[in-house]
Amino acid sequence: MLLFRSEDHIDRWSEARELPRGALLTPDQCWRLAHGWYKDKLAPSWRRHTLEETEALLAEVGLTGPFWNLRD
Amino acid sequence: MESADAGSVEAFALDVRLHVFRTAAETGRVPQPPDIAAALHRSEDDVVGALKHLAQGKVLILAPNGANIWAANPFCAVPSGFRVHAAGRSYWGICIWDALGISAALDADAVITAACGDCSAPLRLEIRQRNLVRSEGIVHFAIPAHHWWDNIGFT
Repeated sequence: MLLFRSEDHIDRWSEARELPRGALLTPDQCWRLAHGWYKDKLAPSWRRHTLEETEALLAEVGLTGPFWNLRD
Repeated sequence: MESADAGSVEAFALDVRLHVFRTAAETGRVPQPPDIAAALHRSEDDVVGALKHLAQGKVLILAPNGANIWAANPFCAVPSGFRVHAAGRSYWGICIWDALGISAALDADAVITAACGDCSAPLRLEIRQRNLVRSEGIVHFAIPAHHWWDNIGFT
């Protein structure tokens, strides 16, 4: 998950690797994703998010659709 | 020194997890097997076994073909293009998600300097009081979510 100056830079990076463009997030979406994912990582009671919890977090941040599908 | 039998692997892995993440948070440095073994008074083999157990559970990431920790996510053990200044210390993240995650894990304000993935130009983000108050650029996820762990290094 990289940060780019602009969409032009994303396209140039993708073309150089012969990859299709992936998904774009605003920095704020990424912050909310990171906060939901890592806010309790230092707690002794931490455990990995379940599939359902991860899906809920992605949806809460507005990340829906095939790219964000976690199931087969 | 005592060896960890199968029944105690889980308990020792918890000790190792807490030590690794606490040390990374408090120092900005991710400890490696010899450091962890010395701190917990256990053999390096026991520690490596616990780290492999944690890596299998996707709690942290080991370096390819080795037992050293590459990232105790969100804390990266080696310098990267994502530098985080928070709580009076410097940290590294392996990606922009983890760089932001350091602020979240520490529950601390942070200034993040990230290199543009294409041209390496420095981009700056700031977190204050759990809000992103300054940002530049656009985040790009190249790999669909279902395949993130196929090659976590590239992801």
